[in-house]
Amino acid sequence: MKVLVAVKRVVDYNVKVRAKADGSDVDLNNVKMAINPFCEIAVEEAVRLKEAGVASEVVVVSVGEKSCQEQIRTALALGADRGIQVETEGAVEPLVVAKLLKGVVEKEQPQLVILGKQSIDGDNNQTGQMLGALANMAQGTFASEVKVDGDAVSVTREVDGGLQTVKLKLPAIVTTDLRLNEPRYASLPNIMKAKKKQLDVFSPADLGVEVKSHLTQLRVEPPAERQAGIKVASVDELVDKLKNEAKVI
Amino acid sequence: MNDLATPRLSPATLSALADIVGAERVLTDAESAAHYGRDWTRFHTPTPSAVLLPGSIEEVQDIVRLAAREGLAIVPSGGRTGLSAGAVAANGELVIALDRLSSIADFNPVERTVRCGAGVITEQLQQFAEGQGLYYPVDFASAGSSQIGGNISTNAGGIKVIRHGMTRDWVAGLKLVTGTGELLDLNRGLVKNNAGYDLRQLVIGAEGTLGIVVEATMALARPPQDPAVLVLGVPDMGAIMQVLAAYQAKMDLQAFEFFSELALQKVVEHQGLQRPFETPAEYYALLEFEQLTGADMEQAMALFEHCVEQGWVVDGVASQSVAQAESLWRLREDISETISRWTPYKNDISTTVAKVPDFLSEVEQVVNGAYPDFEIVWFGHIGDGNVHLNVLKPDDLPVDEFKQRCGEVSQWVFEIVQRYGGSVSAEHGVGLLKKDYLPYSRSELEIDLMRQIKRAFDPAGIMNPGKIFDA
Repeated sequence: MKVLVAVKRVVDYNVKVRAKADGSDVDLNNVKMAINPFCEIAVEEAVRLKEAGVASEVVVVSVGEKSCQEQIRTALALGADRGIQVETEGAVEPLVVAKLLKGVVEKEQPQLVILGKQSIDGDNNQTGQMLGALANMAQGTFASEVKVDGDAVSVTREVDGGLQTVKLKLPAIVTTDLRLNEPRYASLPNIMKAKKKQLDVFSPADLGVEVKSHLTQLRVEPPAERQAGIKVASVDELVDKLKNEAKVI
Repeated sequence: MNDLATPRLSPATLSALADIVGAERVLTDAESAAHYGRDWTRFHTPTPSAVLLPGSIEEVQDIVRLAAREGLAIVPSGGRTGLSAGAVAANGELVIALDRLSSIADFNPVERTVRCGAGVITEQLQQFAEGQGLYYPVDFASAGSSQIGGNISTNAGGIKVIRHGMTRDWVAGLKLVTGTGELLDLNRGLVKNNAGYDLRQLVIGAEGTLGIVVEATMALARPPQDPAVLVLGVPDMGAIMQVLAAYQAKMDLQAFEFFSELALQKVVEHQGLQRPFETPAEYYALLEFEQLTGADMEQAMALFEHCVEQGWVVDGVASQSVAQAESLWRLREDISETISRWTPYKNDISTTVAKVPDFLSEVEQVVNGAYPDFEIVWFGHIGDGNVHLNVLKPDDLPVDEFKQRCGEVSQWVFEIVQRYGGSVSAEHGVGLLKKDYLPYSRSELEIDLMRQIKRAFDPAGIMNPGKIFDA
């Protein structure tokens, strides 16, 4: 069984992002970039399926500028077999990414496509679902457990108020939630091996997709600064403030 | 106010102290005594006569003058994360806690310095520096609690010493309240100042025996660029030194730490961390370096290959994100906290870097031979010749007996230290815990000179008496 995993290059989770002075975008100048944490979980799950003998090949794909090859190499170091970069310029919105991924799905014919449920930069939570619709594949989103059984996969989903388990017929799409697994570290020998693994580059035209923009980003601004706290002298004062100022009790 | 079993201060003294700092800042309850009266060591029962929380340098001076008049001993107290019982009040001393001297002010972007009260927490200074696009490079596991005054008094080292030196290297100036209550303003932020003795340097690492550090002007550095962390599995100590030499020949390392398999096991088990890799190894080395360009990682990989070919390294991982770098660091930084539940007997010893493997194997032989039932956890900074030997207390052994047996071990260990020309306390200081062993590292003449220096700063002998050496 072939597994396709999509990964995105995003600002490192631990970096404190700043808005550009003109408010046009997040300032990405000299900022540490990394693989989106949900995508890292997707790679780990695919590699585990391969180690368990369920998957025969793991192909990792990323849509973005040339620099996203770094994240593809990281995924290859974690155990993916080969990589595909779909080269685009600037920000690409989820619908376009989904269309490009559909093109890759048609080329590669994977039985299972694993994606992060969302990326930590756009927080859209759309690409997996859109891909499901475009490729006409079953989808199990927010997965905290994935079990492949013959020509079906059961996915335990983290839904409001509990867990829901769905059984999907392959080929299917899974998007990962945080508790699905704990990704491993990239070992140095594997990082070196990853450099020699195959990495193909396609243009959107190769996949028959026209990159169109439907969204315009108007402004980016940082969250309001938190007001300094105060100290209250007594419980009575606290209760009074909660009642009359904050009006929460 | 008089919850202590044996109040030692007269009502008149207590009231005079209350006049200085305010009655609510003179604490004599048992909980405060236990809280402020000791550091991270657990071998002494804290019995301070009172805990004082002054809010200004003048108040500190007034307390010291009163103490000098009445012959009351003082223990200065910072974040109390010390590991040598330097901030322990086990003899009814007055504890002066500097928590309230916590202002950060007068940032100077040209000099890259900032003035800190003694009670500023290390992490606060680190965060302040970050806010200015700078970096305070002295860092260690207890940075979230330790205070600048305490760091200076113990000349704290930590995990970036190989690149950035000890606290000493970042003190541009400091203010000291001497044992007579006088205020000294030492060096005043000057970079070049050869006008006489540099008394500032004498105060740094004096463990509060010369006076109380109340304020310091700290220097800041440029932040490291895109630091990457490697953790390597190493078969033996000799190989660790080979790895260190190989990397240092080609790269400027920010850190080179090591820990043993047992240390890793304890941390993984108790902190819920992930092992870096499954390949078994006796020891692990953690390296950090800056990635100024992509070539740095290439270089690090080439060195890794070389080390594997030589048989010095069996496996390794590299951080792919800041989060991973932090998780890998926790494997090393969480060791101290993790093993604290075994009341570890800590030795913080150093020798010159090249002698470390021989030194370690001799020490290991002695300890394993004498006490096969003790678990030994090794970790340390090794890149600067500093290793931490931690003997864990078996659960069924009473503390006193354990301590006594460790005392015997220490003696043998320190004899080896002496033979190697090493130090019985590389970075933790001497305090109460190591003072009996000071002669293994310092000559009688040296110690006698130290006593004379103390008398010059503290003629009444009230400043942290009994620490480092007996007057």
